[in-house]
Amino acid sequence: MSMDLSISRFWRKKEIIYKLNGAKCKSCGKVHYPPKNACPYCGSRELELVELPRRGKLISYTTIYAIPEGARHQSPIYYGLIDLGVTKITAELTDIVNANSLKKDMEVEATLRKTQEDRDAGLIYYVLKFRPVLVQK
Amino acid sequence: MATPKAGIHGWGAYIPIYRLPLSDIAKIWGWHPDQYKGLAVESKAIAGPDEDSLTMGYEAAYNAIKRSKIEPKKISAIFFGTESKPYAVKPSATIIGEALGITPFTMASDLEFACRAASEGMRSLIGMAASGLIDYGLAIGSDTAQANPGDVLEFTAASGAAAFVIGRTSNASAIIEDSVTFVTDTPDFWRRASQPYPLHGEGFTGEPAYFYHIENAVKALLERNGLKPSDFDYAIFHQPNGKFPVKVGQDLGFNMDQMKDGLVTPMIGNTYNASALMGLARVLDKAKPGQKILLAPFGSGAGSDAYLITVTDEVENRKPLAPTVEDYLNRKVLIDYASYAKSRSIIHVIK
Amino acid sequence: MVVYVEGVGMTKIDRHYDYSLKDLAANAAFAAIEQAGGVDGIDYLVFSSSLSSLQDNQLDTASYLATSLGLRGIKALNVEAGEASGLAAISVAKSLLESHQADKVLVIGAEKLNEFVSSKVYKQLQMLYDGDTKSFYNIGFAGDAAILMRLYMDTYNVDRELMSYWPALMHSNAKENPYAMLNFAIKPDKVAKSQILADPITLLDSYPLGDGAAAIVLSNKDMSSSPLAKISAIESSTGYGSIELSEDPLLFDSLSEAFRRISNIADTSNLDFIEIHDSFTITAMIILETLGLANRGKAAELVSTGYFSPGGKGPLANPSGGLKARGHPLGATGVYQIAESSLQVANKFPGVKANNAKKGLVVSLNGLGSSSYVALVEGV
Ligand SMILES: [Zn+2]
Repeated sequence: MSMDLSISRFWRKKEIIYKLNGAKCKSCGKVHYPPKNACPYCGSRELELVELPRRGKLISYTTIYAIPEGARHQSPIYYGLIDLGVTKITAELTDIVNANSLKKDMEVEATLRKTQEDRDAGLIYYVLKFRPVLVQK
Repeated sequence: MATPKAGIHGWGAYIPIYRLPLSDIAKIWGWHPDQYKGLAVESKAIAGPDEDSLTMGYEAAYNAIKRSKIEPKKISAIFFGTESKPYAVKPSATIIGEALGITPFTMASDLEFACRAASEGMRSLIGMAASGLIDYGLAIGSDTAQANPGDVLEFTAASGAAAFVIGRTSNASAIIEDSVTFVTDTPDFWRRASQPYPLHGEGFTGEPAYFYHIENAVKALLERNGLKPSDFDYAIFHQPNGKFPVKVGQDLGFNMDQMKDGLVTPMIGNTYNASALMGLARVLDKAKPGQKILLAPFGSGAGSDAYLITVTDEVENRKPLAPTVEDYLNRKVLIDYASYAKSRSIIHVIK
Repeated sequence: MVVYVEGVGMTKIDRHYDYSLKDLAANAAFAAIEQAGGVDGIDYLVFSSSLSSLQDNQLDTASYLATSLGLRGIKALNVEAGEASGLAAISVAKSLLESHQADKVLVIGAEKLNEFVSSKVYKQLQMLYDGDTKSFYNIGFAGDAAILMRLYMDTYNVDRELMSYWPALMHSNAKENPYAMLNFAIKPDKVAKSQILADPITLLDSYPLGDGAAAIVLSNKDMSSSPLAKISAIESSTGYGSIELSEDPLLFDSLSEAFRRISNIADTSNLDFIEIHDSFTITAMIILETLGLANRGKAAELVSTGYFSPGGKGPLANPSGGLKARGHPLGATGVYQIAESSLQVANKFPGVKANNAKKGLVVSLNGLGSSSYVALVEGV
């Protein structure tokens, strides 16, 4: 039997990871993700959890072929820097039909997907990824 | 005794982006090129390598909750109907519930009854909502639809999900006026524990299973409500292929005009637990206030439900709140058998 | 306070399948000790490595290593700061000397990146980036740098081909360095055509996975006899280390702060050479611009004009060949940089030499700047 993926380390963060919960600083007003113990901009510990917008625009992106162990079946991995308005985040991108379809300012939205699986018998990590928006607003 | 009634508050669907042309399956497995023509399906929807029944069910449920206009925390029962659970033991319903912000004060379980588990969830929610045990409940049907590679079943086994928020009748998009369930021990299709794919009795899945159960459920519903097929605007049946639902509908006295909007399988294949329910989602995307819908899901093993549903004025307010089935149908990219085999773990890999 | 480099040792960076981590460390350490005049007076071992606990299945490596080197009884500690470990270890050693906790410190940086297959190493290297979210993704070691490189090229309208002059310069320098892993020349046009790791980063924009060890013996003024060089200042700073948090990801905030700090305590003008952390072409460009050695968005162009090449107008950049071509055995890299720079100012570097070099700046950082270290190495 072998379990490579941590049970508790993921479980502890599920709220943040599933719901895109960021932190807003009550002192300087800036939002960051994922929430840290104090504001990375001003050091204030007065933070409140905020659900981040689930739609944003690609600022930059990459198609990754140097694939870490366990993810060959998801290769290539698409990965982007996303402007959510209130803050920026990096996330895996999915449902990308081919690398050339990625464009700066492309609109993307969050959806739940598998990222890591612990071989055949261990845990599955479900994390929000971003995909091209289904319906333009 | 008055029939307990409940309301459909929100509906949602999900179809993955990938489509496999059935001609590819015929070519790989040496079927005659016309073998699948009788199934009336041209391509099937395939979940991507990072998708499973849980992620698809999540998105369908996300859409259903959006349309219900309620806070996720108001949902106090989640029934996840699937025959392709990511975990054999460990509820997918709790993961979906947590990810949607529903937990912790909620019932949550994964149901199994081949393709009608989610429908069993809906019937349970009707009673729970009507009795006041819950305000709102979520029923999700989702499958990545396994089939033994090379089996005729592989032509139609597809991936997709549909979900419904069910609650009391007030302010609902549609009212479930009545429902009937008809089950027997009929071994037409099964998957033994620890086996990756189901087996089936070919022609035995037809007359003694699909047709017998759906016809009995629908007839019972019509009879006890004093209705005839022409009283309905829409009729939706479980759709293992493009042919069966049309035949059972015609046998029961429905016409193509009533059935065409609820037929999704010809475009994307059989999404098992989402099969008839996605038909209902598509019909609700289009239906007008006051229209009447007959819904008849079926599950092997075997059983069928028949629902009498009336659309309310509220439906118009809910339609624009989430993507429609059509939006998902229109988003598609063709893949080949090799990509499908990889993303559905048909290729043996050492992990 | 100034500390002195009494001796240095390096192994060639390579796939050393036939040598263990301790073998490589011993090879470098014994050479440094010999140059420093023997083990007498060495009272502290600071060991730098970042992945060796995983690749070598060992904790408290510094202590086991001390005994393995015949130095049982001295004090020892491990320093880990990701890719910046080497310079962090030297910074700690300098503090130990300054505070008189030690009189003579042996600093060893050793790393083996070839004990496991590459996909496992990519997963381990993902640990260099903020694990809070990234550890649940499958982005490997080049994803964040790739996003940064595209952002850089988009923002400043810099052509991919212009970026390729840096790797070519690094290979050209490494060709003369007997310790370099990739000692062959390449033409700039080969870079974009090489295997794509994370678009637009190619294999030739990135560092090779190498095994290696470097060691230096450091002492304070009282103990020094005939030092090669002096380290006149080391400074460091922490930073965002993440593109998404940073308000201006095209500068490394930690490096900017570390450089401001060192400039306050030492004269960082008139550099003869620099040894910078070019883990990727983009990292080099941003370091050059953060240090003010190139205008923003202009580093690639400046490199292409030969400004940083041997005989160029600017400081000679990475005469060793840099992380790109000398190699980047993570936790050992900073120690290599200091060893090479010490040899430069002693006019003893066995590769590309900076003419009459008196002063060089060493830059090491982790990831995209979660920490940055800068050191000023001068002749004695
Ligand atoms: Zn703040």
